[in-house]
Amino acid sequence: MQPNSIQRRLIATVVLSQSLLTAGLVLTGVLYTYWRLLSTLDTSMQARALSLAALVRYNDNATGDVYFDDTMVPPSIDPARPDVFAVWANRSGLLARSDIWPSNVELSPGGDQHWNAKWGHVPYHVLRMSNVPILDRVEGPLSKGPQTLSIIYASPTVRLRQQVRAAGIIIAVASLVLLVLMAKFALRGVGKGLAPLQTLAEQAALVSTQDWELRLPEEVEQIAEIEPVARSMKETLARLQRSFVQQRDFLANAAHELKTPVAVLKSTLQSLLQRPRSSDEYRTGLNQSLEDIERLERLLQWMLRLARAEQWAHGALRRNLELIDLNANCEEAIERVRSLARSRNTQIVLSRNGPLLLRGDPEDLRLVWTNLLENAVRYSPEGSRVEVDLAQDKRDLARLTFKDYGVGIPSEELPHIFERFYRGDPSRTRATGGFGLGLAIAKALVEAYGGTISAESTPGKGTCMTVQLPLDTG
Amino acid sequence: MRLLIVEDEARLAENIARSLRETAAYAVDVAADGEAGLNAIESNPYDAVILDLMLPKLDGMQVLERVRQSGRRTPILVLTARDDKESVIALLNAGADDYLTKPFDLGELLARAKALVRRGKGQASAALTIDDLQVNTADRTVSRNGRAITLTAMEYRVLEYLAHRPGAVVSKKELLEHLYDYNWEKFSNVIEVYISGLRA
Repeated sequence: MQPNSIQRRLIATVVLSQSLLTAGLVLTGVLYTYWRLLSTLDTSMQARALSLAALVRYNDNATGDVYFDDTMVPPSIDPARPDVFAVWANRSGLLARSDIWPSNVELSPGGDQHWNAKWGHVPYHVLRMSNVPILDRVEGPLSKGPQTLSIIYASPTVRLRQQVRAAGIIIAVASLVLLVLMAKFALRGVGKGLAPLQTLAEQAALVSTQDWELRLPEEVEQIAEIEPVARSMKETLARLQRSFVQQRDFLANAAHELKTPVAVLKSTLQSLLQRPRSSDEYRTGLNQSLEDIERLERLLQWMLRLARAEQWAHGALRRNLELIDLNANCEEAIERVRSLARSRNTQIVLSRNGPLLLRGDPEDLRLVWTNLLENAVRYSPEGSRVEVDLAQDKRDLARLTFKDYGVGIPSEELPHIFERFYRGDPSRTRATGGFGLGLAIAKALVEAYGGTISAESTPGKGTCMTVQLPLDTG
Repeated sequence: MRLLIVEDEARLAENIARSLRETAAYAVDVAADGEAGLNAIESNPYDAVILDLMLPKLDGMQVLERVRQSGRRTPILVLTARDDKESVIALLNAGADDYLTKPFDLGELLARAKALVRRGKGQASAALTIDDLQVNTADRTVSRNGRAITLTAMEYRVLEYLAHRPGAVVSKKELLEHLYDYNWEKFSNVIEVYISGLRA
């Protein structure tokens, strides 16, 4: 067991509280036994003191003088340890004393009292009684009047102490046995109670990139303490799985996109080398290889842009930002696609509505607009127009729309167009030279600036892309 | 032998086809998408198919599954960009006979294609022997009793096909179907010329 274990802590708590309980129980038991035995002893001592009083007799001279009849002294309470007593009469003084009297002990009559004392290493319980009447009766009045008695009776408490000790030991042993049993019981109970955690750990260990599901037995999953843990684990796993699948798909797509031009290049060169060729054949082969390398180069550039945009989106690359007017920034992007638009005889119309100031990297934003504009121009029929509208949506939100009257996007493709490497029809987009990365890059960059991007499209009529960006109002 | 290449990357398909024609003397057809590929496989008795996985219209996996579902035993070699175990296992289980990951070596592709072709014909060795005649498909040499025989490319094509099916009666139509690409019918009269050339 590790030092920081719930099981260990629980058991320690149980054992500690049980130990306190046991100690309390032993103490109470001992005190109660002592009190009970002492009160019994007290009663016996009182009875003996009274029987001593019965041994005091009046003389026959009718004066009221008394004597002690020591022929019928009651036996000691503990036969092995003699009791000690003394009897006084209020006029006659000390009448009698036990045969055995502890040395150096002087006692005098006084008020009713009982106490413990230690005489010559022997513990005694002492009882003192006063105004005890003389039980002996005589005929007629006494000339000096009747007398009363003071009695001291002490009994050794050695046996009582032994009994209390024995009782204490019995209670303590019984409690200890119970305590051990209890600890064992607690150990098993806690172990059993924590078993679902073990199940959880075992099942969690089975989760892998092949199998993302956390399978828990229903009785484990429904435990109040386990349920929230299991739920958040499942949610986390689902999130991880989504991003894992996304990454895997990206890797597969990237691999395909990178490997295909390399495969083409390699096969071109290898087939050129398979046999002697004419110089025309070599020239054609080299030109094709060059084209393939250029395609590879473009793809690498796009992938690096995407990686940079996503890193930027995750805040990994913080740069010095400058205050940009989106109107000017967008116009620069339009200039970039001007030659493409001209070649397709497409007109780009910009309508602006006041300054839109934003803190950012101008190249990032130009890239977003360029990607959107290139798509709009590419998918528009020759001689049509692309409308760009810049407006302030709320006090602190810019709204940019890019509207084309092109082929549009089928509704089943619309949710996927921002995914990396997504291409509706590969043969069509390959012909237009795209890699399916432009919109993914635009989305990553817009989101890096805390904005949103969305698309609406009617197949056959056109597409409208909307970008919303928070403005710098400070 | 007649092979089909299903590959949307036109230049890659052309390079493979050229290589197969030049070095293996195979007749080669090319399909640019999954649908065209499936149609071609269903209407021609190819001796082997080289199939790309990422294809427009119908992807390679679907083509593979449909071909196997229809009970065709045409040997199929798959070209894939993915080399992870799972996708390779999935490919082979779907009925692919072999696979190569892009970018591949053209020489290796040719050797694997040849191996698939001879397995499809029930042969194991690249060197075929019929009585006193030896046909080595690896380096395209033919000899009789140890004496080398020089043949034209078309003569070799005919002989190689016949050597893969020793003792069988091969019809002229079958020969035509396996030795020429899409436009075989216009060559139908030429076959006698090659056969008589071989008999001589």
